[in-house]
Amino acid sequence: MLTLLKLAFRNIFRFKRRTIITFCSVSVGLALLIITVCLMNGIDKQSIGNIINCQTSHLKIFKTGYFAKKDEVPMNLTISDPDRICALIKNIPGVAAVEGRVLFGAGLIMGMDELPCLGVAIQPGLDPGLFNIKESLSAGEWLEPGDAKLLVGKNLAHDIGLSVGDTVTLRMITSPDKEDFSWNALELEVKGIFESGNPTVDSGQVFIPLARAQEALAMPSAVTEIAVRLDSDDENKIAAVQRKIQEALKPGKEGLEVYTWKDLAGLFLVISEMKTKRSAMIILIMLVIASMGIINTMMMAVLERTREIGMLAALGMKKWEIMKLFIFEGGFIGIIGSLTGCVLGGLAGWYLQVHGWSLASMGESIKKMSAAVYPVKDVFYAEVSVDVLIMVFLFGTAISILASVYPAWKAARLDPVEALRHI
Amino acid sequence: MSLVKLQNVTKVYRTDGIAFPALDDISLSVEAGEFLSIAGPSGSGKTTALNLIGCLDKPTGGAIFLDDVDIGAGNSSELANIRRHKIGFIFQTFNLVPILTAFENVELPLILKGDMGKAERRALVEEILVDVGLKELMNRRPSRMSGGQQQRVAAARALVKKPRLILADEPTANLDSKTGEEVLDLMLQLNRKSGVTFIFSTHDKMVMDYARRLILLKDGRIAADEQREPRRQARDNGAAGSGGPHVDAS
Repeated sequence: MLTLLKLAFRNIFRFKRRTIITFCSVSVGLALLIITVCLMNGIDKQSIGNIINCQTSHLKIFKTGYFAKKDEVPMNLTISDPDRICALIKNIPGVAAVEGRVLFGAGLIMGMDELPCLGVAIQPGLDPGLFNIKESLSAGEWLEPGDAKLLVGKNLAHDIGLSVGDTVTLRMITSPDKEDFSWNALELEVKGIFESGNPTVDSGQVFIPLARAQEALAMPSAVTEIAVRLDSDDENKIAAVQRKIQEALKPGKEGLEVYTWKDLAGLFLVISEMKTKRSAMIILIMLVIASMGIINTMMMAVLERTREIGMLAALGMKKWEIMKLFIFEGGFIGIIGSLTGCVLGGLAGWYLQVHGWSLASMGESIKKMSAAVYPVKDVFYAEVSVDVLIMVFLFGTAISILASVYPAWKAARLDPVEALRHI
Repeated sequence: MSLVKLQNVTKVYRTDGIAFPALDDISLSVEAGEFLSIAGPSGSGKTTALNLIGCLDKPTGGAIFLDDVDIGAGNSSELANIRRHKIGFIFQTFNLVPILTAFENVELPLILKGDMGKAERRALVEEILVDVGLKELMNRRPSRMSGGQQQRVAAARALVKKPRLILADEPTANLDSKTGEEVLDLMLQLNRKSGVTFIFSTHDKMVMDYARRLILLKDGRIAADEQREPRRQARDNGAAGSGGPHVDAS
């Protein structure tokens, strides 16, 4: 076995240029695979972080029926006694913070311009325990409970021309129903501008104190949702706490439903999965091309060494030993190519993990397209993991070995007499 | 007991449905220790006979026995085992592995045989390389050796596993006459020293002159089979080691 390995290892250096080209095709293919996978993982991690930290928290509780209509932002499906529900939930192990909030359809009016947006009424004292809007303030200050002021996302503020200290009219839709459409309006001062890194939030949301919204929307003490933050991002823990909250809410009796961030970010997850599958297909095609290179290299080796194969058979080498010799050769090309690919891909992934991949220079249209798919602002950061490197290394080696099986089989099947006669 | 026995052996090759008989009802016996040459013009069936005796091919009809074992009945793995343990080959074009040194080329059959430790293998390979006069070149690769030196390595490779039989297919065809003579001297000395049986296929008169038995093939049949006094004797060129028998210079 050792001799076959030694022989196979030396054989790969017989035609250095051809071997190097094959190494390169394997290495580059795998390096691109690592970069793509790490980038996709990093973008997913960033996106999920931004979704949880800016929009969904870990869990949300709605009035039964609200979730199905959530895109319409209904105002008639409210939780009427949020304080009692919050008190029930607060003590469940794993729950770190709870906040009743009101979401409402809104329009931001500045002069003759109006931009539609989503109004989010928050409890300024509690909100930083669940979301990162406070720490994302790029100008101005955080809200106080009694403020007649609002916070605006940076992109929205830019689009409508708002700065801190400006006064703006917030049109608040109190009933989105077509037959019964109604709204109220508040004159509010811009107290702060935030840049959360989540384009959906920065381009389309305003935040005002809950009390001010409840008054304007004529829904005293009611909220449209209760956001729940847990002390861990662990999927299993989130599911376990969801079950405990459901039990605490006595199914059916409270008329409330509990949803995880995954339920709320369903569209993102579907798009993300589709993109991952499409990327996997492209990478698979690249690897098939790389494996064709290996097949070609090995077939050339079989052709060039036909007489030598006949000689080895004459010395008493058995068919399966000849087959192993060529599979080892393919395996060595795979191992060295995969190692090189992993090093190159790992270094490139590490660079992208530290410095990120900026979309800044790619133009507004690309940035907008990206923002429509990923809730990540401008810079994508890769997430390199040892698991990915090991998987890719094993994958590359396995592909190389598989690609060598056919040429090896051809070599083993050679008739020794014919092989020795080969010129 | 004959070392090799061919009984009514025929070999027919088929190409596009057309039959080409290479050997036609051949019967012969080869005793252990013979230095035998199978001669004949191109297409007479010399190489076919060697391939059949060497377990590289199977006859279309008849039977071939090596040490009384019917090798025609063996499968490819069994035939490989016979080649591994009992038969050494020397080829016209040397067929050394270019990425291995002379030492490693000679060691290869012993590794395949698999019944020796590294130290034992090393001692044996060095001994045989001394016998063929290549001890100093043992770390050279074939590309840095002359044709004669390569054929000596090939002879050492064939002999190192102490086979019962060495088959040499046109061993001098790629060598100049002086080198060819040196190589034949060496083989004759090795035959005398170790008693291993040599069967050559050749149409080189010099090889025939060295043989103690000459089988002449014509159109796949034995045209002549004669025991003879060798017209040439091995000259002692010092290559076959001090342990070899005394050899008269011609």
